[in-house]
Amino acid sequence: MSNFSVPRRSLMLGLTAGGAALALAPAAAFATTSPDVGKPAPLFTAVDSNGKSWSLADLKGKVVVIETTNHDCPYVRKHYNAKNMQDQQREAAAKGVVWLTTASNAAGEQGAVTPAQANDLTTRRDAAPAAVLIDPQSKIARAYGATVTPHMYIIDAKGTLVYKGGIDSIPSSNVADIPKAKQYVRVALDEVLAGKPVTEASTQAYGCTMKYPRTST
Amino acid sequence: MPRFLALLLALLVAGPAFAQPAAQSSPAQSVVQTDNVRAELLSDVAAAKPGEPFWVGLRQTMRPKWHTYWKNPGESGLPTEIAWTLPAGVTAGPIVWPVPHVFDIGGVINYGFKDDILLLVRITPPATLAGDTFKLAAEANWLVCEDVCIPEEAKLELALPLAAAATPSDPKTRALFETARRNVPMESPWAARYGVSKTGDPTLVVEAKGLKPDTIGNVYFFPAEWGHVAAMAKQTASVTAEGIRIPLRKGEAKTPMPAALAGTLVLTEKTADGTVQQAFDVSAKLDPAFVPQAATLAAAGGEQLTLVQALLFALLGGLILNLMPCVFPVLAMKAAAFARLAGHERSEMRRDGLAYTAGVLVSFAAMAAAVVAIRASVGDVSWGFQFQSPVFTLLIAYLFFVVGLNLSGVFEFGNRLAGVGQGLVARGGTTGSFFTGVLAVIVATPCTAPFMAAALGFALSQPAPATVAVLLAMGLGLALPYLALSMTPALQRLMPRPGPWMDRLRQFLAFPMYASAVWMIWVLTQQTGSDGVLYALGGMILIAFAIWLLRIGSGSSTSASPGTWLRRGVAAAAVLLAFAAVLKIDDSPATAASASGAATSGVNFDGWERFSRARMTEAHAAGKPVFVDFTAAWCITCLVNERVALETPATKKAFEQASVVKLKGDWTNRDAEITSVLKELGRAGVPLYLFWAPGAENPKILPQVLTESMILSELSSIQQAKR
Repeated sequence: MSNFSVPRRSLMLGLTAGGAALALAPAAAFATTSPDVGKPAPLFTAVDSNGKSWSLADLKGKVVVIETTNHDCPYVRKHYNAKNMQDQQREAAAKGVVWLTTASNAAGEQGAVTPAQANDLTTRRDAAPAAVLIDPQSKIARAYGATVTPHMYIIDAKGTLVYKGGIDSIPSSNVADIPKAKQYVRVALDEVLAGKPVTEASTQAYGCTMKYPRTST
Repeated sequence: MPRFLALLLALLVAGPAFAQPAAQSSPAQSVVQTDNVRAELLSDVAAAKPGEPFWVGLRQTMRPKWHTYWKNPGESGLPTEIAWTLPAGVTAGPIVWPVPHVFDIGGVINYGFKDDILLLVRITPPATLAGDTFKLAAEANWLVCEDVCIPEEAKLELALPLAAAATPSDPKTRALFETARRNVPMESPWAARYGVSKTGDPTLVVEAKGLKPDTIGNVYFFPAEWGHVAAMAKQTASVTAEGIRIPLRKGEAKTPMPAALAGTLVLTEKTADGTVQQAFDVSAKLDPAFVPQAATLAAAGGEQLTLVQALLFALLGGLILNLMPCVFPVLAMKAAAFARLAGHERSEMRRDGLAYTAGVLVSFAAMAAAVVAIRASVGDVSWGFQFQSPVFTLLIAYLFFVVGLNLSGVFEFGNRLAGVGQGLVARGGTTGSFFTGVLAVIVATPCTAPFMAAALGFALSQPAPATVAVLLAMGLGLALPYLALSMTPALQRLMPRPGPWMDRLRQFLAFPMYASAVWMIWVLTQQTGSDGVLYALGGMILIAFAIWLLRIGSGSSTSASPGTWLRRGVAAAAVLLAFAAVLKIDDSPATAASASGAATSGVNFDGWERFSRARMTEAHAAGKPVFVDFTAAWCITCLVNERVALETPATKKAFEQASVVKLKGDWTNRDAEITSVLKELGRAGVPLYLFWAPGAENPKILPQVLTESMILSELSSIQQAKR
């Protein structure tokens, strides 16, 4: 407070209690908060492109992958053009994993789709998710603190969030990087299915900024 | 970093196969226009000299509202990357990043740049480089976002002639580089450390001691890397005399916290001429002993308080003041007096309590008036400002000492000095109680600053009525327990009966008083250096001697014998001498920081003469160029100017060549002579830089944000005039 130097630290010790009593000011609210790995994954219920309702609570006992998407995002296109995403979706399905692609960009923003558009994209891209969830209010993305597309999450059979982050380790829009990158999700899924802890459980996701509804922040 | 390397490698190997052919990149050129960015490769030399490093820059001019990213892009985004193809032996450094901005994209926090930015890269051609020209080829790629994100790339090329001496590029380009360099954070002048709370959230402490909180704003820490610190929309930093404290939120990475947390600290400083932004590269060491409390988070930012909250805090704070080590002795004295009063008429008790409260409130009101008045004339005030004056500190030390002697029973105050304690009962208590209240306030002020920062910060930054209200609320808080006691007979019954124990208590209470005096002397050494101890302790001996002399007299005779008069005369002389120390101390307040060993945070006089008006006038009259730097230890902008403009090798050399008389005025402790000079020039504070060209009638006032080239051009202009 002043230029005047006294042994504040020693005084402060005695004052911590007083300081705490004074600390009534509200703490800043954060825009996005992401659940921690190792904690129960946030529950959600959403309707897919075929009108079917999906609830995470019903999927207990199964390993679940969540993939946020925006089909016009160059980083999403990178992985679909190279068939990397579709390949991993098929591998996962073969191992009994439920892969949920979620179109969580807010209605009216790039990447927001109607159910028909979503199905059309699945066909055209030869994709194989268990379902494409239509999430125009970004509820799922917000619950998981997604910041980009694609942002990837893995939930184990007990409903615990065990991975969050990027699809792979090289943040670029270049298809040629895919074979060189470490495929985080594939590696993590193998570990989860083998009953091992995930070595890299939280990585930096890369992609296009998630488009949340404008009024809700 | 491995990620970066991997990407770089990927770019080098597979660059041409980019998925997004955003740029028509086949014939490489120095300017490429993509959909959203105009990219240009620039050099600050028109011709390069082999062996001599120079700077190139990638300039990105973006469409309005679009942005590219910093090295840590935040919660989404990717940093701009440059892959170089250079002739053998030529090396390119990493991108030197300018200070980023915070972008909040619908709740997702990004760090990046908008409008127009120049990313600097240092190029070193080897001394052996031969030929007429050499070619720098850069493949730059970046992500540019507005609402949507688009990865773009450009292949840029720059051919530079080689020459025996480097020649600077055109002025417009040089100006761009100059601006870009100024926009790069400088190495932090302060050490920094960070601790991790039980919840895993880091708190950063930058040990910038002695800053003035009310001048520092918009503090933000940009973590250099993704992972350990979350990108936040808002950080509630607090500035105290200890430094800058920034509570942060842990990031998404699961790896252990690093031994050093790197990032860029940005803040603004209010100076007399407006607000200046400063940026520093900080590397904070992990301090395992520092476990920040979650609660301290909210103690930040006075501006978030409403008046009602501030009044409440002030009242609470005043209450807590009663437990402060510095107020305690006064209060204990009060308690003793109160015990003596026990059993008296209730009305008397009440009058006593009210008098004490009045004393406290009047003192706070006087302080509030002083704050308002000083603020009106000087511009800003810090809490405890009176303790900035070593004279005040010394007088308080004397006062504590004398009160201590009194409590010890060395002497009794005469009726006329009824103010401080002993004469209480004799005087019916009212006047005495009033002055006890005053004394309590005087000793309370140094205690308040550390934890009352929020409410006080609010009070000092508010219009006059709010300042007065907050200070009065605090005073009421301080007086409240005693007031309640005097008003409530039920509580009074709990007080012990008067008895011989009261004398013992009184004698015991002398010791906290002596301790307080010792503490004030310690404060004094901080202000004046070790000499202060000599003057203060010497003064105390003189005072004790005077009291002893007077006591010899007071016992024996009522009429004044010559001996008594002599003793009185000597005692008066001793007291005068003790107070003469005040003058001695006041003479040299500027030595404060340097003499007390706190030289790291003080003003550095290396290569500079101490400013005095006489020296300035004399040097100027002798026809010498004179440069005057008015600075203060707490002025960040001053410090930055010294580092980037005044103490660089080039500037030092130029000063020397032009035989400039360099004067430095240290305003850390509000030197009166400097204040008067500032006032004459219409300035309320530092930094202020004056340059007297030889023979000039008036000094030139330089801008408050200096650059090296600015100083060099001033100096070269006088060199030219000489020829």
